[in-house]
Amino acid sequence: MRIPIEWLNEYVKIPKNISVLTDGLTMAGHMLDKIDNTKYGTVIDLELRGNRADCYSILGIAREVSAIFKTPLTHPKTDTLHKTIKKISGLFLKADSNYVKRVMMVKINNVKITKSPDWLKNRLSAYGIEPLNNIVDLTNYVMLETGEPMHAFDADRIGGDVFIRIAKKGEKIITFQNKTIVLTDDDLVWSNNKNILSVAGAIGSKEFSITDNTQNIILEAASYEQANIRRTIYRHNLLTDAGIRHEKKLDPTLVEEGIRRYLYLIKNEGWGEMGGELFDFYPSPITSKRITLYYDYINRLSGFEIDKKISVDVLRRLNMKIVGNTKDSIQVIPPSYRTDIESKEDLVEEILRIVGYDKIPNNVLSLEIPPDKMPEYIEQERSVKNILISLGFEEVISIPFTAPKYQPLNSSLSQRTNPVIVANRPSPEIEEMRMNMLPSEKYTEYRAAGILYWEKDGMSYRKFKGKLEAFFTILNIADVKYEESECQILTESFKILLENNIVGIGGNYKGAYFAEIYLDNLLGKSRITKVNLWPKHPPQIEDMTIKIPRGVMAGEVMQKIKSSSTLVSEVELKDTYNISYTFRISYQHPEKTLTNKEVEKARNSISIKLKNDLNLTLDA
Amino acid sequence: MKEELNNLKNNALAQIIEAGGINTLEELRISYLGRNGSVNKFFKELGKLDSDDRKDFGILLNETKKTIEEAIGDKEQKLTQTLSKGDKYFDPSIPGEKYKIGHLHPTTIVINEMFDIFKHLGFSNIEGPEIESDKFNFEILNLPKDHPARSLQDALFIQEPEVVLRTHTSSVESRALTEYKPPFRFVVAGKCYRYENVNASNNAMFYQFQGFALQEGLSMADLKGTLIYFVKKFFGEDREIRARCKYYPEVEPGMGVDIDCRFCKKKGCSVCKGRGWIEMLGSGMIHPNILKNLGYKTEEMSGFAFGMGLDRIVMDRFGIPDIRSLYNGDIKY
Repeated sequence: MRIPIEWLNEYVKIPKNISVLTDGLTMAGHMLDKIDNTKYGTVIDLELRGNRADCYSILGIAREVSAIFKTPLTHPKTDTLHKTIKKISGLFLKADSNYVKRVMMVKINNVKITKSPDWLKNRLSAYGIEPLNNIVDLTNYVMLETGEPMHAFDADRIGGDVFIRIAKKGEKIITFQNKTIVLTDDDLVWSNNKNILSVAGAIGSKEFSITDNTQNIILEAASYEQANIRRTIYRHNLLTDAGIRHEKKLDPTLVEEGIRRYLYLIKNEGWGEMGGELFDFYPSPITSKRITLYYDYINRLSGFEIDKKISVDVLRRLNMKIVGNTKDSIQVIPPSYRTDIESKEDLVEEILRIVGYDKIPNNVLSLEIPPDKMPEYIEQERSVKNILISLGFEEVISIPFTAPKYQPLNSSLSQRTNPVIVANRPSPEIEEMRMNMLPSEKYTEYRAAGILYWEKDGMSYRKFKGKLEAFFTILNIADVKYEESECQILTESFKILLENNIVGIGGNYKGAYFAEIYLDNLLGKSRITKVNLWPKHPPQIEDMTIKIPRGVMAGEVMQKIKSSSTLVSEVELKDTYNISYTFRISYQHPEKTLTNKEVEKARNSISIKLKNDLNLTLDA
Repeated sequence: MKEELNNLKNNALAQIIEAGGINTLEELRISYLGRNGSVNKFFKELGKLDSDDRKDFGILLNETKKTIEEAIGDKEQKLTQTLSKGDKYFDPSIPGEKYKIGHLHPTTIVINEMFDIFKHLGFSNIEGPEIESDKFNFEILNLPKDHPARSLQDALFIQEPEVVLRTHTSSVESRALTEYKPPFRFVVAGKCYRYENVNASNNAMFYQFQGFALQEGLSMADLKGTLIYFVKKFFGEDREIRARCKYYPEVEPGMGVDIDCRFCKKKGCSVCKGRGWIEMLGSGMIHPNILKNLGYKTEEMSGFAFGMGLDRIVMDRFGIPDIRSLYNGDIKY
């Protein structure tokens, strides 16, 4: 909120140096957004927080300044002459909604409509409200000063009775800014017998607004159920100065203060005559809160010792009443405008923010260290990332939504059927949540590693698979199988199996290789690393070329070779040419160096195994 | 005995082929052909055989010796050739063969670093779902329906009512508070979502980092000390922070923490909007309503929580100018 310094100064003495003022306010919870030097003087713009409805006013900030800098506060003068009654002659108000907490109304006759005097115009301009005429400007002025929004209607146009009610669905109002609003049955409105006069707490209609010809006015100030107002102003985008105050928890006491301040100023300026009594609808007046606060609790929550006298002094500076005082505790009654204060913790914050958060010591956590509760998969996921990095992959983090054009891609690769659809889409790219990593039955979110591989030259399935194999090797997961699978999107499509469970899928997508590894099915499956010593006896190595016709899987051939003799320690594919596959085979015995005879025997076993099981013969 | 000799030969030849340097080769020569070498041992055995066998075995033994000598000779020549070739011309500036290295995403790097710092303070790392119920995202956190703070956190909803994409990592705090028994200290990092159009300063998705602790005796001083420890470790020992009162519905008392503006050294500049400080995180003592609803007595149990947006920190650290490039695959090392 923008605070003209000159205006603030009317109620409280402020530090000479503006930055001392703004620093003090910032530290106490009202952060300085910026300082503006205008032709109306310096204006400080404070970033107020939504819990402090009382601070959306010059007077509210003056109270804060008074408490922070220990300077006295001067209250503005208000009307004290007029008594309140329940009914005004010729005017009847019926409020038939629980959303109305308090309404005060008064008729002011023979108003003089003029341009506002400079003091009024300048203050509104400094804040940022365009001046209109004295009657309307004064409602805004009192709102800024006290924090209580109010509204003036042309009394003669309204005619008789006034109602506050829930709008009928589809009812319309044309605002004084010529904007048509179609109302819902969750909007609270003021109306007469026929028309809607205003959207409660937010904006008035054009038809009943103050014009140069207005003679008599009805002035109202009210307090509503904040949640209802909030829904309305966000629904219809009515973030008016009145609206943003009514959507916060305003003090109903303020209604009367605002009205009486307005009446005082009207009388003082000679702009009209009060035509009757003050009408006050206040079905259940608020009661004051009483909070017990133990000194010991202040210290425990703060983490340091605060002198009892200081705590009491701070609370008094904040206009809190101390009604009970024992050795260990006090009873505190906050002022009614402090609608945010409900608990002893709130009071501790009050004490701390005035004493200063900079006085809180920096304790290094000295309590006992709690047991570690980190789930295993977190560390595993971290290592999966590191493994893939070590294999040359770049980690990409992407936004998990897909646009409609990727819908087929999104659903076809997934084992799940329906994607999660975003109901309120801020832009078309945010349509559905991705189900796989290329572009989560209740919402199963699963952990997957998407691996995408593309190289300019020499890319092949074998190269990609080499990386996948290395990945599983480092993860210490053995016996992973790759099988061909059907897929409409990917060519060279395969699935990855571990113990007959699918732990991943993959294939070629438009020239790039892609695999998605389902980490949830995988993490925790790794074996404890076992090390082998380098063998003392050298292997005998030979190359073997085999013609493998289509339909026989190279992987199977290698499996057969490996299992044909215990002496075969390693089988590696060296080369392929058409259907000729050259394998490099190592024969090795842990205890001794193999003789040619022993090697020949092993070779024969391979030959027999391949012949019998796959009908393959070794090339000479 | 013939077979033994044959094995010896095979063994020797294989080792010679494998030998990578002159020294290894010399060791092999001594072990096979030296005075107490394996071959000489066979010569000593020769006398024990009868004359016919002795002749046959003798020829074989000589052949074996010759073969090994030749193999060592050949290998020696090869090894010295390689050496002398290199001696002729050596250009160290010649580029190495290209080796593809991968990188973690900048956000991951920052998260890992933060986790490691908090690990020292006894915090465990946990996670929670991104598709979250209204209960965990709002209700438990002292954000009932119609709470004013909800309008500031416009959520992305999915088609099922009462389910949102989490608007903050505090949802994991609600889960942990309901699931775990104190004492505990947790840190969480992850994706959060808000109803935002993607533009130069906003994504509909963003990263948050959150920490919270529940333990008898925790205070504002512990919170402040924890955050200062973190800031100094992460941003540097010379950095300063400012703790001030700030309202957040999930905590009471609430504390906002700013870090000194490194561009102007607290003098005030366009980056910090003339404030000299940059807002970094929100924190405070876990709200008494939250604790009471979970069955704790506020006189006995207290906790603190803090949270911050990560994207700005990542962009700052890595010099990334546009928030959109963080999560669209544009980052290149």
